[in-house]
Amino acid sequence: MHAFEEWPFVIALLGLAIPAIFAVAAVALPRRAELVGAPALAMAVCFTVGVALFKGTPGDDGASLGVRADAVTCVMLLLVTSLGVVIAHYSRTYLQGDPGLPRYQRWLLLTLSAVTTLVIANNLVVIALGWTATSIALHQLLTFYPDRTAALVAAHKKFLVSRLADACLAVSLVVIHSNVGSLDLDRIEAWTTAHPHLSPSMQFAAVLIVVAVALKSAQLPFHGWLTQVMEAPTPVSALLHAGVVNIGGFVLIRLSPWMSQAVFAQMLLVTIGLTTAVLAALVMTTRVSVKVALAWSTCAQMGFMLVQCGLGLWHLALLHLVAHSLYKAHAFLSAGTAVEGWRVDALAKPRSAPSPTRLVVGIVAALGAAALFIALVQHFVALSPADRFSVPMLAILVSLSMVPLVAQQTPSIAVYTAGAGRVIAVALLYIGWHVAAAHLMPTHVGVSNYLGCAFVGVGFVGLFAVKVTLQMAPNGRLARAIYPWLFAGFYLDERFTRITFRLWPPRRLPRSSTQPTIQLQKTIEVGT
Amino acid sequence: MSHLNAAAVDPPKTSSGVGSPFNPRLDEAIESACARIAPAWPLDRFIAVNPFWGLVDTPVSEVAAKLQAHSGAQLLMPRAWYSEAYRDGRLRDEHLQAAIDESHSNMSLTALRALLQQDEPARSTRARVVDLVDADRDLIHHMSWRSFITQNVSQFCAAYFDNGQAQLKPSREGGLYASWRRHAQKDRSPSLLMGADWYSKYPHDLPMTASDLTVTALAALDIPPHEQESYLWSLLLDQNGWASWCAYQRWTARLEGADDTTLSELLAIRLAWEWMLYRSGGDGLARRWRGALASWAQIDAAAAAARPHDWLLQTAMEIAWRAPVLRTLPSGFETARPTTVSVQAVFCIDVRSEVFRRALEATAPSIQTLGFAGFFGVPLDYQPLGAPTPRPQLPGLLAPRLRAQDIGLGPEAETQRDRALELGTHWKSFKTDALSTFTFVEALGLTYLGKLVGDALGLSSVRSVDQAGLSRTNNTQRKPRLIGSVTGQPLDFDARCDLAAGMLRGMSLTHRFARVVMLAGHGSATRNNPHAAGLDCGACCGQTGEVNARVAAALLNDPEVRKGLTKRGIEIPETTQFVAALHNTTTDEVEFFDLDELPPSHRDDIATLGSWLKDAGARARAERAPRLGLHEKDPSRLGRIVQARTTDWAQVRPEWGLANNAAFIVAPREHCQHLNLHGRAFLHEYRHQEDKGFGVLELIMTAPMLVTHWINFQYYASTVDNERYGSGNKVLHNVVGGHIGVFEGNGGDLRIGLPMQSLHDGTRWVHTPLRLSVFIEAPRSAIDAIVQKHANVRALAQNGWISLFQLDDEEGAIYALRAGRWHPVGVQAENAGSPRSDPGSSVSSDAVRSRE
Repeated sequence: MHAFEEWPFVIALLGLAIPAIFAVAAVALPRRAELVGAPALAMAVCFTVGVALFKGTPGDDGASLGVRADAVTCVMLLLVTSLGVVIAHYSRTYLQGDPGLPRYQRWLLLTLSAVTTLVIANNLVVIALGWTATSIALHQLLTFYPDRTAALVAAHKKFLVSRLADACLAVSLVVIHSNVGSLDLDRIEAWTTAHPHLSPSMQFAAVLIVVAVALKSAQLPFHGWLTQVMEAPTPVSALLHAGVVNIGGFVLIRLSPWMSQAVFAQMLLVTIGLTTAVLAALVMTTRVSVKVALAWSTCAQMGFMLVQCGLGLWHLALLHLVAHSLYKAHAFLSAGTAVEGWRVDALAKPRSAPSPTRLVVGIVAALGAAALFIALVQHFVALSPADRFSVPMLAILVSLSMVPLVAQQTPSIAVYTAGAGRVIAVALLYIGWHVAAAHLMPTHVGVSNYLGCAFVGVGFVGLFAVKVTLQMAPNGRLARAIYPWLFAGFYLDERFTRITFRLWPPRRLPRSSTQPTIQLQKTIEVGT
Repeated sequence: MSHLNAAAVDPPKTSSGVGSPFNPRLDEAIESACARIAPAWPLDRFIAVNPFWGLVDTPVSEVAAKLQAHSGAQLLMPRAWYSEAYRDGRLRDEHLQAAIDESHSNMSLTALRALLQQDEPARSTRARVVDLVDADRDLIHHMSWRSFITQNVSQFCAAYFDNGQAQLKPSREGGLYASWRRHAQKDRSPSLLMGADWYSKYPHDLPMTASDLTVTALAALDIPPHEQESYLWSLLLDQNGWASWCAYQRWTARLEGADDTTLSELLAIRLAWEWMLYRSGGDGLARRWRGALASWAQIDAAAAAARPHDWLLQTAMEIAWRAPVLRTLPSGFETARPTTVSVQAVFCIDVRSEVFRRALEATAPSIQTLGFAGFFGVPLDYQPLGAPTPRPQLPGLLAPRLRAQDIGLGPEAETQRDRALELGTHWKSFKTDALSTFTFVEALGLTYLGKLVGDALGLSSVRSVDQAGLSRTNNTQRKPRLIGSVTGQPLDFDARCDLAAGMLRGMSLTHRFARVVMLAGHGSATRNNPHAAGLDCGACCGQTGEVNARVAAALLNDPEVRKGLTKRGIEIPETTQFVAALHNTTTDEVEFFDLDELPPSHRDDIATLGSWLKDAGARARAERAPRLGLHEKDPSRLGRIVQARTTDWAQVRPEWGLANNAAFIVAPREHCQHLNLHGRAFLHEYRHQEDKGFGVLELIMTAPMLVTHWINFQYYASTVDNERYGSGNKVLHNVVGGHIGVFEGNGGDLRIGLPMQSLHDGTRWVHTPLRLSVFIEAPRSAIDAIVQKHANVRALAQNGWISLFQLDDEEGAIYALRAGRWHPVGVQAENAGSPRSDPGSSVSSDAVRSRE
């Protein structure tokens, strides 16, 4: 049927129009950036409807015009364009009166254009270039106030890390091309199906991709730029944390058929991700300002997402990516409500740490619920080999994280009921989203990462133990020993800052704050 | 009036807890250095403060020179700003000449005009050890020690004082200094980030206490005794944000009769850094340090000589603004007090009320409006239902003596609220906990799409903090009322009557009561705004006036209290009804409270008043709109636009607050009612004929006048040096410790004062920094007596922090207090060409004469 055969082409055009409209607007009318978001979002919706209706119909060969039209593309396009609408609209009011507003809007639109380009691309070169373009466009936003030394230092750090990542990516692309003969995503997927056992060079290429992703996802010890870029207007932070820093996860998901076979890369992902998730989450609890705490939380969440990738739980990684984006964009944009939140908290009566008994009851109940859940699932659902380990691991993790919802309560039927209701609601939501995500993305029968699962389980149970100990004894021996390290962020960033200063010093504009030093030269001459 | 203890406003002068018992002189130096730092209130109680409050006993131009020498701060606008005003014709030769004449300067007009064309001289600032070390460093390729230390100490202070952001905190055992010492001994960032290999050994040599450190370090640095105070002060200025926070700790402690030593401990921390850097530098640094020490006197002299004549420009700007006011004000002196009044509407003295009152008077000429301190003279704190601690609802100069609580709600409501708030805290810890945050994001992250959309469209309902955890029904039944003193004892009948009488006398409303007396507090409506409290009330601890207005109205409606008032000579007719209200300064809407207690006889009056207020609101909005960049002409559409701004989470300029404030007028309203003051004047009702013994005048000049001065100088300082006394760019703000203050961006020192967005619209300053002109309609002798009696009032008037004017309603003239003498100004002065002195009414204080 001729009409049907045209559809993939139309859908692809629709996809291409989204980055194009952002780019055109950036050049033609940066002053009215907020007007572009809605049409782009509308096109993303049409694209999604098109994919939903015509996926798998004759004529669908996966990718026309270099546009990959699948569920992941749809989800990411909807995410990025929605964020684009909200952030552009917010920025317009927020920066009203700032003479740099047109410049800001222009780079905002170019960033969105670059992100949407890499989202729809079916080719790794386009993805890599889009990623680099995103980073460079964002760099202009991060240095929006060029007289702020701290902004420049952080942006330079980010720039250095990103270019290192680009280099890794480039080498990796060369290796892939020499093996596969193409850099199209569908060709790589097909090649992987044909070659389930990866050659050492392809293993190496996968490891390089993981390194690039880790560098660009603010994983320890290269996280410093992310936790120090509060020097740009709030919506830039929202954009960075919700729409840019997670691209690494997206790229891994794109390459998941191949990555599922890459054992070393997977182990590396789990190691880096788990270390970052656990350490950054603990550091987060010592941060003193709202935005910096949010930034450390992003590090941890990105680590968690990479762990999910490393365990082959690709659909969960996608879910986490999207959920985190929405949450974090909102958290940054509404960071000014912190004081109001504090005032509401101050109305509540201060509560002491949970009693050991209640805590033990909470833990036992949590583990019991987890065990019950695991038993039920194993009885009723045919689990894939990979899930046989990951499901129990996640069940334990989720149930342990419910402990704060139940352990601190004052004895009252109403509070217990409300608490139990919340636990059930959260659990149902959690399971529901997971099932939905699993339907959205095909799973790959990859190498089952038993070791990784065990590793992750131990890591998070350890995190729980440390956290509970610190809560129970805020001035205890562990707290005193560990606090200075957490407060210092394990001193992971200091050396890198020093190196950045040497390699690419922040330009120093003549500002009044530098005046005393200038004047000083004179006074010394006078004095001596 | 005894409840307003004016003594509480004196800058505290008691001795500090830190200092060596063997060296009383050093103790004194530490104490004086600390006393120069003004407190900065936290964001939830954002009180406007004059950041130079500890320096008002020195003439403002000398303070400017000192600040420049010690920290590089500026107290004047750049010359380009004055010359722009001159080019625009806002500042003219006559103003410059008047400034020269007033100051008895030997400057010529030509020379002053020439000054407008010149660049400011280079600033000279005293070098500290840290500056010497930095001067030796390649600051292009290395971080400067100055920014490192500021950041390091700032982060530590934030962690130490935090009680709302971090879940894990450093141990506070032993106090700020001891805690920092432990931190310093483990800190590896100086070696890793700054490459200071020497650092590891020095912190272990730090003395155990702040006082020992101060003694040891000052001796090692060889600071001569007469320079110690200045040197210590300059170190505090290097960390002025946190120093102001510590000064706040001390201020509140002292209001409660206790004390706090964190400020001198912070000083010790900065000093410890100086000492450690000094030790690291060896003989070479020691030699240069001696040179720097020797240059201090020279730098002080250079700073004093830098811009003394620029103060003539500033004075001329003030004269230029005042000239039309002085010219037109006397014509109102003969206006008689209105006889038939339908409603008396009492508003806060706040400059935003002036616009609304003018609109209301134009809408309904039968209304008489009055201005009174927005806490209605009730020095209370308020403990919302179930809250563990009360919060102050009065100017920060005063300690609360009375307590209000929510009545009208049963214990079930309290339990319900407790439960709701408890569940709220659990939810928050589930969201932010190190482990469960992962689960939270996966389970609930997607629901934030709804929140994003809701907030972007401004759909989320805005509820005030006081309503948190209360159902809508409970909230309407909630009635904040006076329950007794802060100690929990109920207030006896006489005390309640005295309170009511003091309130009415304070607003000069003791007879000729209208049928309805509206007591309107004020509040603002903004979203996602860390500095929201500053818009609510820059005076009354950043709270809205709702509680105070409701408490005051209920007290004055109490039949028993009215009987007591009769005995005190204040006869309130039975037909008079007080009604509490809240003026929303963002939308110019007025909301009534406790209408259920209103007798049916007054329903129609309130309905009429309500419609007048609506019309007045539309007028006021139309007047304010152009400055907000709104050019909508249709009133209802403008109303909707203004309303939408209050729920817009991206709105950084919801209203202009008290920007452009310039004057404080203490007089009967009818005497200044003919003026359009463009929302630039604080207005206080006062009738000196009714004030026997001038007790009310004394109160006004020692409390509301100081409050208006604090607000005025908060705006002034935030404008002339936003980097040091303002909080910078709002789009970078990052709330510290839940409520302590903001960082601008990632870190740096704690920022105090107002954000740029409250002062500047992106292209020009919306606030014109003018020192407050105070106009008082009262006998000169009465004003003199009060000026003489109160040291801080005298200091303000004498040292150029405010300009004091007397409105002589009998002569129809205005007199200015200059250098302790009254000079007639206005019409007569213009006719005479130059101001004449009036020997009959000088302030004959020795202190004043000695300044001349």
